[in-house]
Amino acid sequence: MTDSKLPDFDTMTPADFEQYLPEFFATGDGHVSQDPRLQTFLRNNPDCAALVRDLEAIADQARSLFAPVEPSDTVWNNIQSKLKQNSAADEDDLPIPRTV
Amino acid sequence: MDLQGLPMTQNTHAPGIYKRNPPIAGEAEAIEAAKNGDAEAFSKLYALHKRRVYTLCLRMLGNVSEAEDMTQEAFLHLFRKIGSFRGESAFSTWLHRLTVNLVLMHLRKKGLNLVSLEETINPSEDDAPKRDFGSRDLQLTGSVDRVALERAVASLPPGYRMVFVLHDVEGFEHNEIATMLECSTGNSKSQLHKARLKLRELLRQPEQPAQPTGFNEVAV
Repeated sequence: MTDSKLPDFDTMTPADFEQYLPEFFATGDGHVSQDPRLQTFLRNNPDCAALVRDLEAIADQARSLFAPVEPSDTVWNNIQSKLKQNSAADEDDLPIPRTV
Repeated sequence: MDLQGLPMTQNTHAPGIYKRNPPIAGEAEAIEAAKNGDAEAFSKLYALHKRRVYTLCLRMLGNVSEAEDMTQEAFLHLFRKIGSFRGESAFSTWLHRLTVNLVLMHLRKKGLNLVSLEETINPSEDDAPKRDFGSRDLQLTGSVDRVALERAVASLPPGYRMVFVLHDVEGFEHNEIATMLECSTGNSKSQLHKARLKLRELLRQPEQPAQPTGFNEVAV
């Protein structure tokens, strides 16, 4: 979607805003609430502004989601086992990694 | 490298991911040794990257058992393909992409129709976010509880979860997601938006008993 397809920011309705919101988020740094073109609209439409703040909060928090988790020892045991099987089947006998 | 048509390029168009993947001490030596079949070096690479790979699988699949299976597949694939790593991007970025592509292949085989990401095929009415963007919610505005958000992400429909994890959690750009999922960038943007709307809706619901999803099986 190009700028030419964006709505008139002065006459935009909440329905227009909803329609174009994915594009607003996709442009710039994704912080729609800071977009200078939308300041007047958001000031005049507090519910739309609240929606934007909520979606920004979700996107911001997403970056810190899911602390790294350790796989079980079974995973490495299975990898070793599979490599051993493959190695036995192959003529070019690949070395088998030892247990971590 | 291609995984059944899925691009496995070593481009550098993922600055967010690259920034989060600085070189690891001793990794370069381990990679070179592993390319020559050094078993101990491969063990080291597993030790260095197992958490990242497993966590990625868990995020994308939302299921511990499947995530472990895919972690196994990713490292077996790595063992076979490490010779094709040319160092044009960070190794962790390359491995990350390899894992994403394997998971996507797995989901396709499993029957998750990624074409359903196209807007012509909508999720079921129950799954689609409600269009009640008007009502304000001061509880949600400005702050989102991390644990509640993790739970909500785990309960997203697979297509929504995939795009949300790839974009908002993993930092892929829409054009990269479009390539991986074989959809348009417009659809990627739209699906991400719907995913966020669905998350907002889920987060605004009164707290409910934990759903039996994969993430709930994990003690983080």
